[in-house]
Amino acid sequence: METIFILSAAVAGTIAGCAAGCIPGFHVYNLLGVMITSFAMPDSGNLLPPLFIGMIVGWTMTAAIPSVLLAAPDESALLMVLPGQKYAGRGEGFEAAMLTAAGALLAAFLLVIPAGLLIPILLPEIRTTLRPHGYWVLWSVIAFLLLSEWPKLGTRGQGGWRRFIEGCSTPAAGILTFLMAGMLGLVLRYNPPFPPKAALHGMMPAFAGLFAVPWLLLNIVSRFQLPRQEQRSALRASGRHILRGTAAGCLGGGFAALFPGVSGGIGGLLAGHATAQRDDRVFLVSQGASRMIYYAGALLLMFLPETGYSRGTGAFLLGTFYEANGGMNDYLPALGSIAVAAALSFLLMRPLLRLTLWCVNKFGFCRISTAALSVVIGLVFVCTGFMGLLVLAAATGIGLIPVLFHSRRINCLGVILLPAALGMSELGPVVASALGIIR
Amino acid sequence: MKGLTHFIVGLTAAAMIPESVRAAASGNPLYLLLGGIFGLLPDTLDFKFYRFFYRHDIEVMPDPDKPDARMIADAVAHAVNKAWSTGSCVKIKLGTVRKGADLWQRYSIRFDVREKRVTVAYGPIVDTGGNPATDAVATKGPSATAALACDITLDYEAETTVDIFDGPLLRMTPTPDGPVRIEFIPWHRDWSHSLTVGAVFGLAGAALWNPLAGTVIFLAYAMHALADQMGFMGVNFFYPFRRGRRPGFGLMRSTEAWPNFATVWLCCLLIFWSLAQNTAGTEFRPGLVRLIIGAGVMPVVVFLLADRLMRGKQNLKRTVEPQRNAE
Repeated sequence: METIFILSAAVAGTIAGCAAGCIPGFHVYNLLGVMITSFAMPDSGNLLPPLFIGMIVGWTMTAAIPSVLLAAPDESALLMVLPGQKYAGRGEGFEAAMLTAAGALLAAFLLVIPAGLLIPILLPEIRTTLRPHGYWVLWSVIAFLLLSEWPKLGTRGQGGWRRFIEGCSTPAAGILTFLMAGMLGLVLRYNPPFPPKAALHGMMPAFAGLFAVPWLLLNIVSRFQLPRQEQRSALRASGRHILRGTAAGCLGGGFAALFPGVSGGIGGLLAGHATAQRDDRVFLVSQGASRMIYYAGALLLMFLPETGYSRGTGAFLLGTFYEANGGMNDYLPALGSIAVAAALSFLLMRPLLRLTLWCVNKFGFCRISTAALSVVIGLVFVCTGFMGLLVLAAATGIGLIPVLFHSRRINCLGVILLPAALGMSELGPVVASALGIIR
Repeated sequence: MKGLTHFIVGLTAAAMIPESVRAAASGNPLYLLLGGIFGLLPDTLDFKFYRFFYRHDIEVMPDPDKPDARMIADAVAHAVNKAWSTGSCVKIKLGTVRKGADLWQRYSIRFDVREKRVTVAYGPIVDTGGNPATDAVATKGPSATAALACDITLDYEAETTVDIFDGPLLRMTPTPDGPVRIEFIPWHRDWSHSLTVGAVFGLAGAALWNPLAGTVIFLAYAMHALADQMGFMGVNFFYPFRRGRRPGFGLMRSTEAWPNFATVWLCCLLIFWSLAQNTAGTEFRPGLVRLIIGAGVMPVVVFLLADRLMRGKQNLKRTVEPQRNAE
């Protein structure tokens, strides 16, 4: 009987998560935050984990839809926007979203078997070794991120200072974006302008402004018209594309799930670099896999309290109501919930994609983008109030720098990376104080 | 090698020194970060500084609307012939052809050493990832061939592809024994990749911090040059004592996925092994061979088998489908 209840909770969570994933700029953590602050949570501890897992897995799967079709990503889906837009521009957005979903599905099953069975054996040892080193790994990621910004201009004309200055504009814009996003992150961390009850949504306006709103504004200003989208029954990707993308994504997502402060977006970026991917299909699959491993994997770790690992906002939110006792009694149902949620949400991808495309065809891309922008602004206002709108405006300004200077949008992740690295190095309050953020 | 590969190789060079890891475990990440940064620095110097100051004699800027392979072939041949006739270097920069926000016209230049000619052929329009923008398999465009007045030798591959962002620069250098030597992007892997410059940076690091920092800097820098030497283009190890790049070992291409992935993964295992050996309070100390076999070789073998299996299925599908269509 208990198994049926657990399954039902996982299914209900998956449906809710899938629906939330289709809303542009809306993160599942905001939904979970709203749930735990607005409603009395049921005193049935065993049902909450499958519910949360279902919601997170369902959202991870379907959040690719607004990222690909409307170019309104969350932080971890940032990298799939450009290839996704290319596909959508050719009328193949449906396929692009399904490729990410295929990567996410395969990654979820690899997370259950074999990774899920190996994690309890290997992780405690790995953690003991890595624990004192997390902070410099984060600084290394930052150093690589900044050093690897590629000059895209200055390709014409005779060599000299003029070409150098022109060429420098892209890396300089990248560094500026990173630093400004980092400053915003420090403000939100050490002196948040929100009332305490909005604390759970603290990063929402920043993420929406940095990642979703600039794209939506571009959609509206450029009056881009989405061509008719082809709905294929089979993907034009071979098993090798799926395999390679999933392998790369699992590595990146696993890296992100293990190290605090490293997000799914960074994991995807590193996986892409490590395997020198140039094929968009492999890249899209890898992004889906990376996000699934990052979100579901990080949550899974909380069911192994003996490892001492608890990563991610999902685990933090669930941890306020539920404490895992350790052993396999909590862990195995969690693995089962991931498998059920991944399979169900993959099945829901097609109907939800069709529904989104129907809306886009019915109302037009520009109107849908305007509606999506209104939804994002409305959500920010409801969750964080007027100050949230100010943060959203500031973050949008920063998020537009890469658009204007052709630098990488991934630098916007400074909003997480810089405060996390400073915090882990115990320098956060010192720097925040030096910058006048705290007195 | 890709940037991340160089960065991690440098990080590994630093992590293999136990004092670096012990310092990092006690809150000082300097040595490991220096390893990563100086592992990537040679390419940073080339691509973000030096190439913008490198001057050329001829610049080819193809018209995006009028493909003209003849013009490009004649320009390249002119550069070679001029170098031969004047006895001095001629540098020619080949521009890219932008066709849209994310679209580029690809073209290739092929030197035929035996026949003494250069052929330029337009290819497909590609996106910034280098993938053809349409499904058309072989979008062959116009091509043209120009004769060269002299013998040539090549320091890189016979065919150069020009597509995204910045085009290559070729230096035509006359040699005392007759043929003109064609050097591919001569501003790359020259002084910036030399061990001499690495030693100078190492000495500066030792003076600024301490000898350990200097050692880490030199090791990371040297590892970058060594990794690049595995490719085809080669490196000038001993600038200014030696001119020009030494030909590479030709074991791999810098953009290939497998060498990059294998190097990154091996480095991650080496770093983990070093952290486990040198971090106080850790009881988990895996043997290096066991770690590399268990976490390196075995997963790679499984992946390769799966990859091979997929390829087998793909080939089978390719064989069966035309047969079915024919039937």
